Amino acid sequence: MPEGRTLRLQQAMASLVLDADEAALEADLGRVARQHDLSPADQQVFRAQTEAFLTYRELARMSLIEPLETMFPVLKALLETTDQWEACIQAFLDARVIRSGHYRDIAPAFLGWLAATGWGQGRWPFILELAHAELLEVLVARFPDTDPPKGLHDEPAVEDSLVLEAATQIVSYNHAVHRTTEQAPIPASSPTHLLAYRTADGPAKLLELTPATAVLLVKAQSRSLREAATDLNLTDLEPTLNLLRELRHDGAIAGFQTHT
Amino acid sequence: MAQDRFTGVGLGLRRPHLEEIARMEDHGVPFWETCPENVVGDGGRFHRLSCQILDRDPVLTHGLTMSVGGYDAWDEDYLRDLGTFLVRTSTPWHSEHLCFTSVDSNCLHELLPLPFTREAVRHTIARAKSLQARLPVPLLLENITYYAELGAAEMDEADFITAVLEGADTGWLLDINNVYVNALNFNFDPKEWLSRMPLDRVTQLHIAGHKTFGNLTIDTHGAEVIDPVIDLMQWTLAKLGRPVPVLLERDNHIPDLDALLTERTRLQSAYDQVLTTMEVRHA
Repeated sequence: MPEGRTLRLQQAMASLVLDADEAALEADLGRVARQHDLSPADQQVFRAQTEAFLTYRELARMSLIEPLETMFPVLKALLETTDQWEACIQAFLDARVIRSGHYRDIAPAFLGWLAATGWGQGRWPFILELAHAELLEVLVARFPDTDPPKGLHDEPAVEDSLVLEAATQIVSYNHAVHRTTEQAPIPASSPTHLLAYRTADGPAKLLELTPATAVLLVKAQSRSLREAATDLNLTDLEPTLNLLRELRHDGAIAGFQTHT
Repeated sequence: MAQDRFTGVGLGLRRPHLEEIARMEDHGVPFWETCPENVVGDGGRFHRLSCQILDRDPVLTHGLTMSVGGYDAWDEDYLRDLGTFLVRTSTPWHSEHLCFTSVDSNCLHELLPLPFTREAVRHTIARAKSLQARLPVPLLLENITYYAELGAAEMDEADFITAVLEGADTGWLLDINNVYVNALNFNFDPKEWLSRMPLDRVTQLHIAGHKTFGNLTIDTHGAEVIDPVIDLMQWTLAKLGRPVPVLLERDNHIPDLDALLTERTRLQSAYDQVLTTMEVRHA
């Protein structure tokens, strides 16, 4: 047999696991070997072990799909209302975008695929926001630990800028996707701003922000608190400073530094 | 030698138990086994707990998705981080599965069987040597369960594994449950099978539970180890004549820690029984 047969056998196995047409596979498993230019003897081996190969298909697909079912329960509920969940999963598997050997990266790969392809966005304009919101807390909770910059202080002053913890994210959506449930998976169309961070104890927390607070938290990372507040016509800074103290205490903000 | 620290029956370190284990100073588990893919590059509270345990207790490392028999280029960034992790844990070796897990840069997250062919032997030996050259500790390869032969075979599984282990000159992580499950599915005698194998290369054992579905028995890691598998472990240890570490794997239907510790103690007794017999024989 020429070199390269091993690779073609592995490619046939990948097709067997990932390809859509299960009925065709069940009817003739040798077809998948034929598609990869394998010999009649190899085709026959596939045919002779149909049950075992279909078990591989089931096991591998279960392994790939389980993190999606776990991480995106509301999205799954939404798509199941129109029998589109399996079609969505198959389109994702067809794209062959699971590159990472880290199991935890399957769900982010799915989110990246949704964003890149726009799958389902014509019918559900909020679908990407919904998937992002479902994954947000997990991404924040598992964000790699990093040391904050040196020289930060704990108490905010008006001439300071703020430094968020590396895991903290400020996100804005056009829909109230964080309020959806499996029973009510369609969000209200309503601009939504969230602060996602992890507390000192570890669990991720979501805090709904007013539009002004969201803008302030973004601007005050590159400007002083006074300048950021002035842009927003905030005259009394004390409530803002209290909020920032609370967020630092709770773990969302790493600290403050004099803005230069 | 560092290896001497590793005897007895250890446990796989799993997320639901991290909190409890991190608090326990005297858990009685001689070593843990961890999967670097689940730790390297991760962060947050569970990651910190893992690291706390890995920095405190003896650890062996066991990879899942390196795709030793595959064709995709190594992820050199990951290999660099893996090397750092292996050094940090002071593991005396790192094990991987004798299988492929990715094809054309797509990770299938399943341990898939290699063809039992001369070409696959040559390819896998070259890959194992190439991987070994990138690791700071010796590489072990583990026999997997397989449910189908991938393509027309030119040899049987025993000859395939032997050829790869000998050709790549690596140690063997012998999974007892995988031998037992394969023996059920392909109707052979596991002791005869083991007697044909290069047991001098065995450095560690794995043991786990399985489940039968219809005509096929699956290596689920989701149930207690059954007595015939414990018997096979004892038979193998006696045949080896030396105390290699045994790792109890449990990845599905994970029970609470107390139940797992109880099962470990049961296996440790079976392990000690063989060792006592060995000592009497040597005396």
